[in-house]
Amino acid sequence: MKRKIMSTAAAIAAAALVLSACGGDSDDSGTTNGNGDASGGDDAAPVTITFAGWSLATTPEFETLVEAFEAENEDITVEIVEYADGDDYDTQMITDLAGGTAPDVYPLKNLNHFFTYQDGGQLVDVSDVAAELGEEVSGVDAYVIDGATYAVPYRQDAWFIYYNMDLFEAAGVDQPDGSWTWDDYADAAEALTEGLAGTETPATGAYQHSWQSTLQGFATAQSPGADFLSGDWEYFVPYYERVLEMQDNGSLVSYSTVTTNSLSYQAQFGTQQAAMTVMGSWYIATLLAEQDSGDADDFAWGIAPAPQYDSSTTDQPVTFGDPTGLGINSAVEGDELEAAKRFVAFAAGEQAGEALAGIGITPAASTEAVTEAFFNLEGMPMDDLSQFAFSTHDVRPENTVDANNAALQNILGDAHSSIMSGSESPQDGIDEAMRRASDEVNN
Amino acid sequence: MATLSAAPPRRRTRRPGARLRRRNTFIGWTFILPNFIGFATLTLVPVLILFYLGFTSWNAFGAAEWVGLANYERLLNDRTFHRVLFNTLYYAAFHIPLTLGAALGLALLLNRKMRGVAFFRTVAFFPYITSIVAIAVVWNMLFSAETGPINQFLGLFGFDDLPGWTVSTTWAMPAVIIVGTWREMGYFMLLFLAGLQTVPTELHEAARVDGASSWQRFLNVTLPCLRPTTFFVTVMLTIESFKILDLILVMTNGGPGISTTVLAQYVFRKGFQENDFGYASAVALVLFFICISVTVVQFLANKRRER
Repeated sequence: MKRKIMSTAAAIAAAALVLSACGGDSDDSGTTNGNGDASGGDDAAPVTITFAGWSLATTPEFETLVEAFEAENEDITVEIVEYADGDDYDTQMITDLAGGTAPDVYPLKNLNHFFTYQDGGQLVDVSDVAAELGEEVSGVDAYVIDGATYAVPYRQDAWFIYYNMDLFEAAGVDQPDGSWTWDDYADAAEALTEGLAGTETPATGAYQHSWQSTLQGFATAQSPGADFLSGDWEYFVPYYERVLEMQDNGSLVSYSTVTTNSLSYQAQFGTQQAAMTVMGSWYIATLLAEQDSGDADDFAWGIAPAPQYDSSTTDQPVTFGDPTGLGINSAVEGDELEAAKRFVAFAAGEQAGEALAGIGITPAASTEAVTEAFFNLEGMPMDDLSQFAFSTHDVRPENTVDANNAALQNILGDAHSSIMSGSESPQDGIDEAMRRASDEVNN
Repeated sequence: MATLSAAPPRRRTRRPGARLRRRNTFIGWTFILPNFIGFATLTLVPVLILFYLGFTSWNAFGAAEWVGLANYERLLNDRTFHRVLFNTLYYAAFHIPLTLGAALGLALLLNRKMRGVAFFRTVAFFPYITSIVAIAVVWNMLFSAETGPINQFLGLFGFDDLPGWTVSTTWAMPAVIIVGTWREMGYFMLLFLAGLQTVPTELHEAARVDGASSWQRFLNVTLPCLRPTTFFVTVMLTIESFKILDLILVMTNGGPGISTTVLAQYVFRKGFQENDFGYASAVALVLFFICISVTVVQFLANKRRER
């Protein structure tokens, strides 16, 4: 009804919180009958735990994890509770946690909300689980607050260059060799754009998606001495100047075209509109699936390490990406807690890693077996550089675990749109963002 | 509430009064209750809680901590909030009169007897029932600075310095206002069309006999007869304009920079993205009081004119 003066977003929030108290409950495993039969005549009493996942039809990783885990642990049944994707996931999870109806184990999509959950006392201390994990599991440190670990990663995405080998050949430009700095990347993009201008497929050299991550994630991870939380953000300026120059010389589709025409990176790279793009590791599975279904063209591609700040880091290229972790609801106790701990420990390990790699997900555990399982996927590029890029890198988290992170990211998001659209120069835009950060957040 | 007073006892009995009155009250309540329960649980209680939360610091977990007027002090010094408030007023100041004028104009145009009037009425109403996401995608393409038809059209007339529309801090708000007006005029046109049916033809005929021109007749017959409709439309439109959110979210997401960020979006940001529900509630309360005071002023003005 149009008449409701009071229906503001905050009112809906409060309504959701009030109503959640009478919402459906699924975490009371004591009353769940029938599941005990599944484990047969085990000595250990069968336990059922619940586990949150989003959009199960298009996100198979949760079912894969559960299947792999149940095959090893017959006495434990894991029931998946489905949530909606996107921002809705965290909103719903916060509501359910506040109302006491959340599942026993829930994924932490990013580090930004991890802080909200931890600070709100909604996560069990899983330091004992983390202590058991091997060296091969990356991203665990991100979940440490005041010496205690509150979640365990099962997935660790990282950003690479995706490049179209056919277009590089057509343009007569040398393919990436794993030693590129951002200036090399910009030069290659310009050469590609020129080289492809005369061909049948006039693609641009590179494509940069409109997200602030595509630039700021790298700048924060790579710039020497960068301290995101300080609000001292001068280090973004050279990154912006470079990318604006790339826009001006035509090697990138302009930000305004990307936003006004709602371009998607999948279509731009997948249908050969751009010879390369920087994107996160989740795109590998998408690209394979789209080439298989015909949504993407059939061309030879590879991944290369992300361009570097300077040549000093090319042995262990620095890139960024948040881990995706599993946390245990602080309301869980007793046998369920033990079972939940076994589940999250399993999810971080190599066995789960191989299962996840088999469906194109980048697991937190990085071992040779995992890399092998990943490159066994049909359609994967087989070259050495792709394998190197996938298995060797120094991933820094994109978000900092701090109360101010979300507000600072929002301020930088505003700066990103105003600089990229050309409304403000990089220096002015960053100066304004720094002023806002000190006025509104770090005061 | 009308049900309560407008239900006179149908039959006079020897014992009029208490019992019958109680029965009527009961019947009255049963009519109101289904709606009222929904309203209370989904709107009234949350809004009352909102009033409380506006004076607290709360991150969705645990108890909200009472902070008194701290949130409002913060509002006074928050320059981003000032800009956002300005943006909201900017939108309302242009969107309300433009939509009102366009809706009334369309209604007058489509109130005649002409061929295909039903078709044109439907066409005018179409934007209102179209998915807002689809609207945003299509209009964004039309507004595209480099490849969009709007700028190509303007280029035909020899304009050199073409606006950047949704990717320019100066032009993004006008672009949003244009789309907002285009989207909503059909709905308000419908309300005006309904209002026009109540204008007595005798008055028009009498005015015509007296030699009034069509403009004079519009000014002195149509407009005064439309006053209840105009009042209703203005109130609805004002409230809608101040709480605009969806269109901006999908068209510009508040950008570039914060040039199109409005109050409702700021509430969403502070609350759901930054988990600062106390401050978000304070901003929501400001929005609430703006809406309610503008509406009260409009009611008073309308009442005075009615006398």
